[in-house]
Amino acid sequence: MYVRLFAGIWLLACAGLAVLAWGFEAPFAYDPVGPRAYPLLLLGLMAAGALWLLVKPKGEPTPPIDWAIARKVVLCILVLLAYAFLFEPLGFVLSTALAGCTLGLLFNGRPVPSVISGVLMGVLLYVLFDVLLDVPLPLGVFRLLEN
Amino acid sequence: METLNFLMQGFDVALRPTNLLVALFGAFVGTIVGLLPGLGPINGVALLLPLAFALGLPPETALILLAAVYLGCEYGGRISAILLNVPGDAAAIMTTLDGYPLARQGKAGIALSLSAVSSFTGSIIATCGVVAFAPLLAKWAVAFGPAEYFVLMVFAIACLGGMVGDKPVKTLMSALIGLGLATVGVDSTTGVYRFTFGSVSLSDGIQFVIVVIGLFSVSEVLLMLEQTHAGQQAVKASGRMLFNLKEYTQTVGTMLRSSVVGFVIGTLPGAGATIASAVTYMTEKRMAGASGRFGDGDLRGVAAPEAANNASACGSLIPMLTLGVPGSGTTAVMIGALTLYNITPGPLLFEQQPDVVWGLIASLFIGNVILLLMNIPLIGLFSRMLAVPNWVLVPAITVVSLVGVYAVHSTTFDLVLMIGLGVFGYILRKLDFPLSSLILGFVLGEMMESNLRRALSISNGDLAILWSSPITLILWALAILMLALPGLRWWRATRRRVHDKGAETQPAP
Repeated sequence: MYVRLFAGIWLLACAGLAVLAWGFEAPFAYDPVGPRAYPLLLLGLMAAGALWLLVKPKGEPTPPIDWAIARKVVLCILVLLAYAFLFEPLGFVLSTALAGCTLGLLFNGRPVPSVISGVLMGVLLYVLFDVLLDVPLPLGVFRLLEN
Repeated sequence: METLNFLMQGFDVALRPTNLLVALFGAFVGTIVGLLPGLGPINGVALLLPLAFALGLPPETALILLAAVYLGCEYGGRISAILLNVPGDAAAIMTTLDGYPLARQGKAGIALSLSAVSSFTGSIIATCGVVAFAPLLAKWAVAFGPAEYFVLMVFAIACLGGMVGDKPVKTLMSALIGLGLATVGVDSTTGVYRFTFGSVSLSDGIQFVIVVIGLFSVSEVLLMLEQTHAGQQAVKASGRMLFNLKEYTQTVGTMLRSSVVGFVIGTLPGAGATIASAVTYMTEKRMAGASGRFGDGDLRGVAAPEAANNASACGSLIPMLTLGVPGSGTTAVMIGALTLYNITPGPLLFEQQPDVVWGLIASLFIGNVILLLMNIPLIGLFSRMLAVPNWVLVPAITVVSLVGVYAVHSTTFDLVLMIGLGVFGYILRKLDFPLSSLILGFVLGEMMESNLRRALSISNGDLAILWSSPITLILWALAILMLALPGLRWWRATRRRVHDKGAETQPAP
């Protein structure tokens, strides 16, 4: 069932992208193919595949959605997004400590060990990457302390 | 003779102190990544690739690191398979069938050491195969024009559909999605912006590292939410740790046969370690007949898949080095690594970058020796790694992934794109679309389009150039055969089913 849903959405996406791809035109011809044909070919093949899945989704019975897990997945995605957006403003150490302990909690860690592992990860990995391995990481709020 | 000279030169490169150190580190990390359930060679290579790049390692060193991780994963996968009955990576599924029963019988030490030797045998035989065949194929492949290349890539993708599992349509769809993702960005021939949606960050195309880490690491983190066990108790490896001569002579034939078969399967684009281990296990089971105790602890059942999956890992380097076409998901990532260094893999690699190619091949020999030496005495340490709980492991994977992506461009946009791709990958995996073919498609995408357009420029738009030379004709024939395979299998299965039904209903007069 979900495969059908996905195939349907994908078919619509193919159509939308094909409209977009139709507009790719080079100001003058550099090569006989041009920038438009290849993406259109791919979209056509993909649409054919999606149609096939829509008509004939190999019939394993789909298990019902486990809502407890689905909620966790959504939470996890939100934590990851927050981590990504706070990565530069807060800096590596703080954002990693925060993300480390919330993810730890999400994966059934006990509160105190999760906090400890998050903070340790933030500090130790910063030292490892930025100081030892020379991979530049954002300092964020700690920049204020530097001056 | 010439080959031997080059190989010596390769050993020169591989034996440099930094490269040795890197191989040692890669082998160690690879084994750990391999034994952690859920994380396979693609994850290992994907996590280390951006770091190698950010550290400014020279290309040959980076490639040696990635190859060591790749091999290490194939060694590590067997540890959790034998001790936990959980395959550490997909290729180790067959190892669980006999490995775990052996461990339950108190023969874990024997199974582990024997499988380490099998892995070693497989890799060494396959590496010798690489030395023997790769330069020949490279010489031959220099004659390939853009049309031949295009058809070769069509063949590679058709191979995926024909060989990977029982869902050809989904596999091909994945490959197409990968090819499509590769068209994002500025078109290199005409300068037209395609699918960038006005974003400056996308005008350069989607960075390879972001795709790999998003699809594999982030989606893995989301998948792990389903199994919230807090580390597992492994079977204690006790008793005799080393196999004896009798057990070795019993299995040596199996090892050699499986190595050769694994190597051949590995060289086919698309068909990787998973298929190689399944095929050899089934063959050995059939060959042993009634004398085998396959399924409840036959040592040959451990030796066959382990030799085969390592052999195919090495074999899959052949199409990568000679043709620039990946033989497996992991080699696809390695090709991406080379392109980060502005090195185009292909037949000219042997002439232009002998240090890279031969250094890599020599490091396979060295890496294998390191892994064998590391795997037998350190087995206790490695099996203890299995007890690391998810609430430590997952945050660590997440942080390393983020750092890897951030190291490339240092923008928040990339991080968000990575998470978006991760969610997309998670959905695809839940719906049973194989992601390794997606990554193969993504790597092939740009080459495929540019070769097609170059071929058509040569012929001035005449499509006939795509099937005018004998090589292209053979490749088309093979590609069509590959695409027909699933249909053929399906037809045979239904015929057998009908036949069985007929037999059932007959004896009722």
